Amino acid sequence: MEIRTSVSGNTHELLVAGRVDGEGANQLELEILAAIRANAQSIYVNLSQATFLCSAGLRALLQYWRQMKNSQRLLLVTRPSPEVDAVLATTGFKEQMVEKV
Amino acid sequence: MEIVFHNRPEEKPRLLRALEVFAAEHRLPAKTRQAADLALEEYVTNLLNHAYADTALHEIRVRLSCDGRALHVEVEDDGREYNPLKAPLVDTSIPLEERPIGGLGIHLMRRFMDTLDYRRQGGRNILRMTKRLEA
Repeated sequence: MEIRTSVSGNTHELLVAGRVDGEGANQLELEILAAIRANAQSIYVNLSQATFLCSAGLRALLQYWRQMKNSQRLLLVTRPSPEVDAVLATTGFKEQMVEKV
Repeated sequence: MEIVFHNRPEEKPRLLRALEVFAAEHRLPAKTRQAADLALEEYVTNLLNHAYADTALHEIRVRLSCDGRALHVEVEDDGREYNPLKAPLVDTSIPLEERPIGGLGIHLMRRFMDTLDYRRQGGRNILRMTKRLEA
């Protein structure tokens, strides 16, 4: 799994490519934490190129979605791939965590 | 096909590769393979994290078979007794602010596989899952 981060002002976009399994979730968490430490006000986790998302990835997203929200900041998932979208929808994450377009 | 591996995270990729080979050989529809991939990731990760009270090597056996109508996946281990079907259901209508962190793994197994069956036999957990062949 690879994560590319692009920064524009206080907005960070994490482009995730590949498999967000247990190990991938750990890597994603580290990148989100790096963005938070860099004082990101908005973090967009682009999952258009993610081929897999498991519960470990969901837990990492939920933990930091809450943390950002509690400090009046934003973390959203954008453009989930079909495989990832199915997982987000099945677990009830889609409505609140996926950016609406 | 039977895959035998050990309770070590670095051995999980072998299982994934075996599933991919099996899926290609049997021309499984993508959704069938994806469902099995997810269910195995969830269950095996749970085994690695919680099934063993010691640090010894333990064998985990995964058997894959296909009868033309469904993919059958069976996981056998000698860890502590654990019936995943007894895990409480997850209420996905609870807002994310209030949602418990845990329980999503078994929820995904229940939703993505068509049937789950568990038995304890000879000191071993045996979980059988099926997924209909669908495109």
